[in-house]
Amino acid sequence: MTAALLSARRVARRFGSRTVLEPIDLDLARGEVVALGGPNGAGKSTLLAILAGALAPSNGSVEAPDPARVGWMPQQPALYRRLTPRENLDLFARLAGLADPAAAVTGALEAVGLDAEERRAATLSVGNVQRLNLAIGLLGDPHVLLLDEPTASLDVAHRQRLWRLVAGIREAGGAVLFATHNLEEARRWADRLLVLEDGVATYTGPPGDYREETA
Amino acid sequence: MRRVALLLRKDIRTLGRMPALAVALVAYPLVIALVVGLVVRYAGERPRVALVDEQGALSGLLVVGNARFDVERRLEQATEVDLVRMSRAQAEHDLETGRVAAAVIVPPDFITKLRGLRESPTLVLSTTRGGLGTRVVEKMRSLVYSTNLELQQAYIDANLAAVDLLLRGGKGTIGRTPFTLLGVRRARAQLRTLERSPDPGVAARARGLDAFMGQLEGAVGQVGSFLRATANPIELRQEARGGRTWLLSAQVQGYALALAVAFVTILLGAGALVAEREENVLGRLTRGLAGMGQLVVEKVGFVALVGTVMGFVLAVAFGVIVQLGNVSGGEQWVRLPVLLAGLVLAALAFGSFGVLIGALAREAATASVVALLVALPLMLLALVPAGSIAAAGWIGALFPFGHAQAALSAALYDERPAGTLVREGAWLLGLGLAYGAAARVAARRMLG
Repeated sequence: MTAALLSARRVARRFGSRTVLEPIDLDLARGEVVALGGPNGAGKSTLLAILAGALAPSNGSVEAPDPARVGWMPQQPALYRRLTPRENLDLFARLAGLADPAAAVTGALEAVGLDAEERRAATLSVGNVQRLNLAIGLLGDPHVLLLDEPTASLDVAHRQRLWRLVAGIREAGGAVLFATHNLEEARRWADRLLVLEDGVATYTGPPGDYREETA
Repeated sequence: MRRVALLLRKDIRTLGRMPALAVALVAYPLVIALVVGLVVRYAGERPRVALVDEQGALSGLLVVGNARFDVERRLEQATEVDLVRMSRAQAEHDLETGRVAAAVIVPPDFITKLRGLRESPTLVLSTTRGGLGTRVVEKMRSLVYSTNLELQQAYIDANLAAVDLLLRGGKGTIGRTPFTLLGVRRARAQLRTLERSPDPGVAARARGLDAFMGQLEGAVGQVGSFLRATANPIELRQEARGGRTWLLSAQVQGYALALAVAFVTILLGAGALVAEREENVLGRLTRGLAGMGQLVVEKVGFVALVGTVMGFVLAVAFGVIVQLGNVSGGEQWVRLPVLLAGLVLAALAFGSFGVLIGALAREAATASVVALLVALPLMLLALVPAGSIAAAGWIGALFPFGHAQAALSAALYDERPAGTLVREGAWLLGLGLAYGAAARVAARRMLG
């Protein structure tokens, strides 16, 4: 069995008395792209946030070999709207302690095809904000990329760029987990599909075998 | 520290891109400081006190001994309280409704006793319980004390006239009964005649009596000095000098600085941590880029920096006004470094309090409203005069405003500010650390 780059072991999450994620196991193997499906409120974003280390699980643990470079693109853009894209990327690169922040910023901007114009993020289009959100997640050349509905707000050309990026990480031996409502995206780009409903994993397997209409 | 510095630089850059907020942060506290300064100066220092003259004898000149004493003018000159003449019924009504803080009642026999020089007349002071009552009692004690000083002089003069009559002899009255007194000096003159008597026994007794009368004359001659010394072991002489205008008085400057720094730092602090949450970056930051503790430290530091700079600019502005107005009594420029230390500590304490409010509120609009709702009464509580209401003192002590005001006022004008600065600075530091620690605990909820 190939060693997992990132694993969830009986990970669960409650908010107060409400359980949003029942205990779940998940391994992201090298060279694997996994799609995370399910209706709104199923627990997809919560699972991604826990795997990213942005949210502590109520139970269970997340395991990763050392060093694990995990990139995360949350569904809601997580960036400073009064800073320019370059300033945002530079800040997060320096906070991450990257050896060459300037090179990392340039690489991330090129990866998402975003111009380094001196406009504040607040004035960018929704699609460009989403690309900047992705670019921040790409800082540090991650082995594992966690994407929460990454194609929302992206035009066709930038969706293609995104999937090329995902394919590149897979070819490099990394792993990608992306949440989506689009079953066609899952079938086309994912090796495996995990479906959550009300915080419970109801399906895991090849995307092509999944027949539920409400994914 | 590197991460804290990076976030601090980001926040400063962000603030610079919000000119409306920057202008509001400076202008609003100045306006509030001006208004509160007026309130403190005119409402806080002159409580309204009813004056009930039941004998109707305070008007006109009062003759005490040989001195003429204008009681009404004396009372009008009292600057400690605002005395308002009214009837007893009106005074009782106004006291009940709080329109006056106290009532001074001059009983019907007051002037009679005062003129009689034998019995101390009594003034009756009625106050409300708590509130300004205690303060008014202090003010009235001060007024009665200063009035007594003038009356004492009249009494002393009257007593000295009697002593002079004893020495020199002459005509006097007790009540309405006239009498004639020989006097010590005339008595001695007659004794000297007897000393020349051919009878040796009579001459010897006359010499003995004359010696005694000589000692008596010397002793009685010192009575005036003894009376004055006994009445005024320590005499306070008040001299009117050109000082600061009300706007520039030490107290108002201290309040203005504390108020401006408090408003800026509490509101900014309440919004600082919440802003990170509303930008949705808390999750991104706390996954290894910056911990919640570092974020709280950075926010408190940022807010303290802004508050200190703003307070310093305000202090410099006061200094310039003092310099241009050629107002005496100020040491603005010399005290600026000490003032800066007070500003830093005050801004840290207020900033921690604001960040705590933000961490508890978790949402920008709520945080701003809660910051105002909580901070404003706590600041006003600190303005309640010390000793007026015990509970207000305790609650006020747990909020940085009173300590900040005391520290800043001391830094500005106390001759030896070190003691006050160290004590209040320790309070501010302690409160800042306590609020900061509480903010760190509360901030955990922001990630949920």
